[in-house]
Amino acid sequence: MMMDLLQALGSGILVGMVYALLGLGVVIVFRASEAFNFAVGEFLVVGAFLFLVFNSALRLPILVALPLALLAAGAVGGLIERLTIKPLLGRNPISMTIVTLGLANVLRSLVQLVFGAHTYPFELRLPDIKLEIGDLLFLSEALWAAMLSLATFGLVILFLFRTRWGVAIRATSESQAKALAFGIDAGFILFLVWMVSAVCIAISGIVISNFGSLSYVTGIVGLRAIPVVLIGGMDSIGGALVGGIVVGVCEALVGAYIEPRGLIGFKEVAPYILLLIVLIFRPYGLFGTVRIERV
Amino acid sequence: MLAVENLRVVYHDVISVLNGISLTVNQGENLIIIGANGAGKTTLLRAISGMIEFYDGDIIDGDVKVEGASVKGIDATAVMRKHRLTYVMEDRPVFWYLTIEENLKAAAYCRWDGGVKADIEQALDHFPVLRRLGHRTAGYLSGGEQQMLAIAMALMTKPRILLLDEPSLGLAPRVVEELFEIIRRLHKGGLTVVLVEQNAHAALSIGTRGYVMETGRVVLEGSARELLANEDVREFYLGSGEGERKSYRDAKRYKRRKRWL
Repeated sequence: MMMDLLQALGSGILVGMVYALLGLGVVIVFRASEAFNFAVGEFLVVGAFLFLVFNSALRLPILVALPLALLAAGAVGGLIERLTIKPLLGRNPISMTIVTLGLANVLRSLVQLVFGAHTYPFELRLPDIKLEIGDLLFLSEALWAAMLSLATFGLVILFLFRTRWGVAIRATSESQAKALAFGIDAGFILFLVWMVSAVCIAISGIVISNFGSLSYVTGIVGLRAIPVVLIGGMDSIGGALVGGIVVGVCEALVGAYIEPRGLIGFKEVAPYILLLIVLIFRPYGLFGTVRIERV
Repeated sequence: MLAVENLRVVYHDVISVLNGISLTVNQGENLIIIGANGAGKTTLLRAISGMIEFYDGDIIDGDVKVEGASVKGIDATAVMRKHRLTYVMEDRPVFWYLTIEENLKAAAYCRWDGGVKADIEQALDHFPVLRRLGHRTAGYLSGGEQQMLAIAMALMTKPRILLLDEPSLGLAPRVVEELFEIIRRLHKGGLTVVLVEQNAHAALSIGTRGYVMETGRVVLEGSARELLANEDVREFYLGSGEGERKSYRDAKRYKRRKRWL
């Protein structure tokens, strides 16, 4: 009984790290532009397919294919920002959010057009590091996914808090007008943010696909970003980490204790129920900034 | 050094705010622009600094020239980098969630020289109160401290022309005094300052020359001393006109007179 609980908690935390990285990709875009990127699932699929192209089609070793795929994913993110988001700089963030809805459809169709509706086997071919402690078993894929996600999360935080671009991103996230007035090119910063976000989401896509296979519908996992960032707080980087782990653990516990009692598929719904409960008590999420507006 | 020529600005294609305003700023001046709410002072600074498009405004006529070169249609970062013209927006434009040091670093973003660290130290020497507050987040500073930080941030950009938009807004009189002393010192140090203020007396006391704006036009100009002594300015902006209080008819006559200026 205790082992089951520990297994569920451990697995939930590992998967939660991946969700946290996914959430981070959404949060940094939201902080910079106050727009929610609804195309997160499609970014995830594009990133994973780019890796598949470099690794499987071009037969490049993982150490070459991964950086190339991430560079390409970043470039795709930057290109999309230039074409669709930049023209809306300074406008109502709702416009950008609506653009991302359209973007999701366009990207999904493009992926389907290029790669078809097949399911591709996906394997990172990383060393086996599965962990067995008594009756507990943590799969190598889950451990690698958590480690890669956590490492990326840490690097992004270092980037945001220790580099000039990071400080500029945080400044622009607070106010594009103030940033422009002090000579920070808000347009370039937004471009940079979308690139970083695309890389984060691509890594999530790659490690998620490593659990089995990849197809254009893998993007559905991107929807997990919604409860993650809403529970953690739309504008909180720390909140993305906590939200990711909360959602991961919630899924794992439901999978271990509720689904076996006949509620098949409840695992998918549970994070949204949890989200509703959190929002009732904390409308801005666990760590979101409470906005005070004068009326 | 800076010339605004017959400038007309509209917001959202319909709301006309500047209606053919012209003015000049000479090198080393501390130019004061005063005017009531809605006169177009902030819009003027936005137009000069290249921020106007960000606010959905358009320059539909006229020009803004810095050292003879037109900056019309050029975005704010380019104007700032090319002409070292820094605009300190109203309402203490600091980044609330960044620390004092991060604010200074953010303001130095456009610089690639190696002197940023030394300049941060210099800015903190200039504003000892900011050094004392250490790594505090800007959002937790008082209004006066935030305004000092905003000016310190502007200095990090190494400006040649500093546009200040109502720095005294919402500050206690003693803090305003301190702030204006800082602006006076900066001007004495050779910086060209354009100060937009509603606190006309304090501003004109430290200025060299001034303009009075109303409904998007200049209605009066002169040396700061002349403006301080001007009866209309004293009556309508300094609230210290001599003699009896003006009747509504007098006020109307004054407004009619301004239209011809």
